[in-house]
Amino acid sequence: MNTIFEEIKDAIVDGDEDLAVELAEKVIAEKIDPVQAVQLGFIKGIEEVGASWTSGEAFLPDVMMAADAMKAGMDVLEEVLAAGEGEGSYEDKGKIVLGTVAGDIHDIGKNIVGALLTSAGFKVYDIGIDQKPEDFVKKADEVGAKILAASSLLTTTMKSQKVLIEYLVEQNIRDQYKVIIGGGPTSAKWGAEIGADGWAETADEAVLLCKKLLG
Amino acid sequence: MLPKFDILTDEQLNKIHENSMRILKEIGVEFSYDPAIEVLKKQGQRVEGHRVYFDPDFVKEMVAKAPAQFTLHARNPEHNLVCGGENIIYMPGYGAPFIYEADGVKRDATMEDYDNFVKLAGASKYMHMTGGTVVEPTDVRDEIRHLEMAYSHIVNSDKCFMGSSSGYEYAKDSIEMAALLHGGMDVIKEKPALICLINSVTPLKYDDRMLGGLMAYAETGQAMVIASLVMSGSTGPATMAGALSLQNAEVLAGITLAQCINPGTPVVYGSTSAVTDMSTGSLSIGNPENALFTSASAQFARFYGVPCRGGGGLTDSKTVDAQAGYESMMVLFATSTTGVHFVMHTAGILQYYMAMSYEKFMVDDEISGMILRYLKGFDCESDEKMAFDVIEKVGPGGHFLTQKHTRKNFKLEFYRPELSDRQSFDGWSKESLDTNQRAKIKWQEVLASYVPPALDPVVKEKIESFIEKRAKELLNK
Repeated sequence: MNTIFEEIKDAIVDGDEDLAVELAEKVIAEKIDPVQAVQLGFIKGIEEVGASWTSGEAFLPDVMMAADAMKAGMDVLEEVLAAGEGEGSYEDKGKIVLGTVAGDIHDIGKNIVGALLTSAGFKVYDIGIDQKPEDFVKKADEVGAKILAASSLLTTTMKSQKVLIEYLVEQNIRDQYKVIIGGGPTSAKWGAEIGADGWAETADEAVLLCKKLLG
Repeated sequence: MLPKFDILTDEQLNKIHENSMRILKEIGVEFSYDPAIEVLKKQGQRVEGHRVYFDPDFVKEMVAKAPAQFTLHARNPEHNLVCGGENIIYMPGYGAPFIYEADGVKRDATMEDYDNFVKLAGASKYMHMTGGTVVEPTDVRDEIRHLEMAYSHIVNSDKCFMGSSSGYEYAKDSIEMAALLHGGMDVIKEKPALICLINSVTPLKYDDRMLGGLMAYAETGQAMVIASLVMSGSTGPATMAGALSLQNAEVLAGITLAQCINPGTPVVYGSTSAVTDMSTGSLSIGNPENALFTSASAQFARFYGVPCRGGGGLTDSKTVDAQAGYESMMVLFATSTTGVHFVMHTAGILQYYMAMSYEKFMVDDEISGMILRYLKGFDCESDEKMAFDVIEKVGPGGHFLTQKHTRKNFKLEFYRPELSDRQSFDGWSKESLDTNQRAKIKWQEVLASYVPPALDPVVKEKIESFIEKRAKELLNK
């Protein structure tokens, strides 16, 4: 086995974004099998971090930096993977569009959810803060995501989560997406009230929820 | 009052101060609200886009314009409060969307809960004001929540309270209502009657909503807390000195803006900085780090010559248990003994500001009474207090239980708990109630016997018509 796979795995575990990019570029330059690089390098690394997280040995900076390194490296490989190079194929566990709703500029909780979903094998498209319903939909259609994950930290912006679902209904596209919500003042009751497909209190629960919805 | 102890050495304080000044000058602070940018530009600060780079000398000059203390006026002058100096002001928790009940049930907070907490604070001997946003009344529409909340404080108690800071328009509504209560805008411009909470968005940002609120209060000379909540490890550096430098820079930027708008307008230096739980990403507030940030903030406020807001009866616990008790006591004790003047979140908070609990309110009320007693310290002023004569009278081997001196003085000197159980085991075991269960009985008794102080019907009528008029306008927008 090529030693570069081990190096990639270590770069992910260390959360070393620069090294992950450098190694991904090396994979392309030296025409190493990109699918193997993903499966034996990137995914091995993120799985190891995910396991440490589950056992309580890893903390948020470990997981979030690993997810960032993974994303940066995978972005480099995206083109060759899309071109179908390499033996076999690589498939993510599902695509999720993630954002903070209109009027709200808080993003830490959202970023944590994004990192944990990434470490669980999902492909996360983070559209950022203060995002309107049409922004969620536009991104989802562009990448073929089935889950829209909307975050809100303020009691005053929670209603934007409702607006997102109302928008989907108005556009007659409600059944094309699963909408999940979260954030400090939200609750299971609020989720049910606005007709969301799921609510999670913590990032770990959000991962379980996505597995359930896409399973 | 006891002398306040310093948590930082002069050298540490200076290093952090200089670090904050460097942040303000070299990194700058982002203000999204254009009118705020205009004000700072006019004052000659370097502005690029929405980012303002402050001149440290200008910041010092502006912060020096803020008063060291000010009086907040209540509709009953007996409840007027001096914010600053040797005083401490306690009030209920602020902003929680949920109620956690004694049996562990979680539910949305309602307007009825709102009224209840205002009444409990009105009835309390230890809550100096009834606070603001004592819960988020989720059954009242957003557009008129600020009106209903202010009304609750006005009719259910005659103590001071806090107004809305949710944007310029809502802030103006609260100020109008305070003006109606006190006999006109001119009256409250002279004698501030309302105070609000302005929060930065850490790191280094202020949003439109808060800046609008800030401008409304500053323009009318009403008081405001300008606070920063650095979550060390996530919204700020994981080092205590770094997080404190960041908080300090943000608060000074806010105070500077308020003083530019209205020099001398009363402001309070606010901190709610604490740490991030690195396993969940949640804020964590019931800890020694929060106590340290709070004490250091009090010291910084003394250094800048402004009153301080911070701390409270703070916990991460989800129920009224030992954790809720020991965490809350630690933070409120540090808050109170190191010189914080304005203590939002004194009573009722569970789970890092997410919930209010009636039982926790009663526990914190008891903690407040204990700490206020502690703060009084020893009274050595008179011969009676020194008690030489009675010690002589009783002499060796006697006892003091039947002395007039005892009968008179124990009531003056001893704190009498109202929630704690001091019975024998047998006495306690008749019902075997724990603190949570006793607190539940207690708050129900307090609410049942509370009579809100009467309000002049003419004033009440004026305020009700104002609410009616504004509610129509806001709901038909």
